[in-house]
Amino acid sequence: MPHPGVPHSWFRNKDGLGLWEGRGKVVATGVGTSPTARRWDEKPETSMGALTIIAIRKAIADAGISPDEIDGLVLTPESTTGVSNDPKTPPPPGWEKHFKMASFPQAGITRGDIDWLLLNTPELKNVKFMMNGAMCMSVSFVAAAEAVARGLTQTCLVVRGWHNLAGRYYVGVGASALNTASGPFKYSSIWGLPACGTTAMVFEEYCRKYGKSHDQMANFVVTQRRNGLMNPDGFYSQHRPEMITVEDYLTARWIAKPANIYDNDLPIMAALAVVFTTPERAKNHKQKPVYILSHGQTRPEMMGVTPTLEKWEQATDRMGRILYEGSGVGPDDLSFENMYDGFTLFHQFHLEGLRYAARGEKRGYALDLYETDISIEGPNPVSPSGGNNGNGRTRWWNHRDTILQLQGRSPSQIRKKAEIGVSGAPMPDICDALIWSATPPV
Amino acid sequence: MPKQSPIPDELDKPFYDACNEERLVIQYCTSCRRYQFPPRPGCTRCGNNASVQWRQLSGRGRIVSRVVVHDTPTSSLIPEQPFNVAAIALDEEPDIIMLSHLPGTPVDQVPIGAAVEVIFETTPATGQKVPEWRVAG
Amino acid sequence: MIYLLSFDIDGTMEFGDPAGGVTVEMVRRAKELGFIVGSCSDRFPSWQKKAWDSYGVAVDFWVPKHMLLDVKTRFQADRYVHIGDRDIDRQLAEKVGFHFWWDHEAVAEPWLAWLTDQR
Repeated sequence: MPHPGVPHSWFRNKDGLGLWEGRGKVVATGVGTSPTARRWDEKPETSMGALTIIAIRKAIADAGISPDEIDGLVLTPESTTGVSNDPKTPPPPGWEKHFKMASFPQAGITRGDIDWLLLNTPELKNVKFMMNGAMCMSVSFVAAAEAVARGLTQTCLVVRGWHNLAGRYYVGVGASALNTASGPFKYSSIWGLPACGTTAMVFEEYCRKYGKSHDQMANFVVTQRRNGLMNPDGFYSQHRPEMITVEDYLTARWIAKPANIYDNDLPIMAALAVVFTTPERAKNHKQKPVYILSHGQTRPEMMGVTPTLEKWEQATDRMGRILYEGSGVGPDDLSFENMYDGFTLFHQFHLEGLRYAARGEKRGYALDLYETDISIEGPNPVSPSGGNNGNGRTRWWNHRDTILQLQGRSPSQIRKKAEIGVSGAPMPDICDALIWSATPPV
Repeated sequence: MPKQSPIPDELDKPFYDACNEERLVIQYCTSCRRYQFPPRPGCTRCGNNASVQWRQLSGRGRIVSRVVVHDTPTSSLIPEQPFNVAAIALDEEPDIIMLSHLPGTPVDQVPIGAAVEVIFETTPATGQKVPEWRVAG
Repeated sequence: MIYLLSFDIDGTMEFGDPAGGVTVEMVRRAKELGFIVGSCSDRFPSWQKKAWDSYGVAVDFWVPKHMLLDVKTRFQADRYVHIGDRDIDRQLAEKVGFHFWWDHEAVAEPWLAWLTDQR
């Protein structure tokens, strides 16, 4: 059964909307994270779907509520930025013995599916509100926030799983291996740009404009990995606990100069579920409520094959304005920022759009900031989650950590008091972000 | 550079047909008075299909950025690594970026800001021509 | 004659991710037969060294994937070979004058034949 997407009118995507009407009416409480893996070993119990069910059950247990209380489910169905099977590809033999089948054959394997989840999580008996938040879990967080604020659901799960199939993908396989190019990517693929190429190109423009260099990224990347390795749920802490050094970063091989291999994130298997509810109901939840103060969205007006520095700066400036207008807080109120990093080279666009830790600067200051103490112990924690770069590719470590920081229980808890935080993803010009608070708005 | 041959479809056939005639044409919305590329069914600003027409450009632009590709996903280009990919802003609409391998420009020596002019390169698989750019003068 | 064998790890070695077909035993055997052996991988050099240590193989070098030229500079050999599983491995190897074998070719330990030839 198809489920609705998020109504366009729910997104806060322009200036002048004023304070968000749902401000302070929605909170996050329980958080559940699955184990991680580099690739799927093709066993049903380690599939993306199975990981998602694990995350859901952990989130409900973490909130300390009964599954009966869940009456809403918002899901991001897309579950990779890598390879998805043909939607009609049947599941592997034996799959049907482990899971009840939904109408979509790849449900639980290479795509999240609300019907499949409800069939295979039978304790979720009372889910009435169902919605798909396309593309990024950020969209699902916004959808769930709006749904709770509008009274469409009282206690809602926000869910996303990620899959990464066995074997290599992307380089020299599939469409990349052909001598012809079709479809919408033909305007970029014939030039041979790797995925990080566009970001690298805008980063280069940024460095040229502001007199910065790629070497200035080193402390950010090292700090990302350090933060990630504190997270027992992250891929690196579970499977590759070795620490990157500044020298590793500065001598790394280029993928698309000025992007090197450590500016790229690693695809993994993982799932996250978060419980959203009203402040009243949260009084009965085990975890401290984290209030959503507002949310914002940017989308590009596509004109060319790749974005420009100007467009990314305009988009992230707009995001900053929308978020602050809707939440009633400003850059100085942020205890930390947890914007997206999957590619590292665009994190600073998000950061500067929010004017995070600016001292009067508007643009071109982030790489200098990176060279100061941006650790969780310091005055200006940058990406305390460690992000994709420190935990593996999910696009949600940043959101998860923002909730945990404001609950005071992040594994990479910032040392100063965590009062207000921001998280958003993915790209500088294609982004949904939220402002969160440890306390209700005044 | 042994580029993949793009396969035109109904939407972008005018663009690729013009390339084969060594003319650079892109879409222009007469309502919004703005260009857009790659081709789309309607104007990405006003959404109007009828107001979009094909217009020939001067074929001049400027290099605004570049990367040097060392690990491409595209098989046919792997033997060419490392190679330049430059972002070209069109003179008529600098917000529109086209890509280029900048034939004739040494790897990692891309003159940012330099004026460029369009040429047309034949792709090996089908003979389809595509726009390329070289530093002017 | 002095021979140098460089091994990629992920997709090539049995302990790589993904696992490849070249075993630690093959590397150990080459080392014991007098080959200069080591790894050249996208894994951190410090991790590469620890991994080899954990298998009890005293490798001669452990470097990032694009640093085969450094290996060539450091070690004088009559033949230099890199074994890997990706086009980029092949390209980086051949660019600096290494012969290249794919991982699936290497599982037959073709370098052992050199010793026979030498005799």
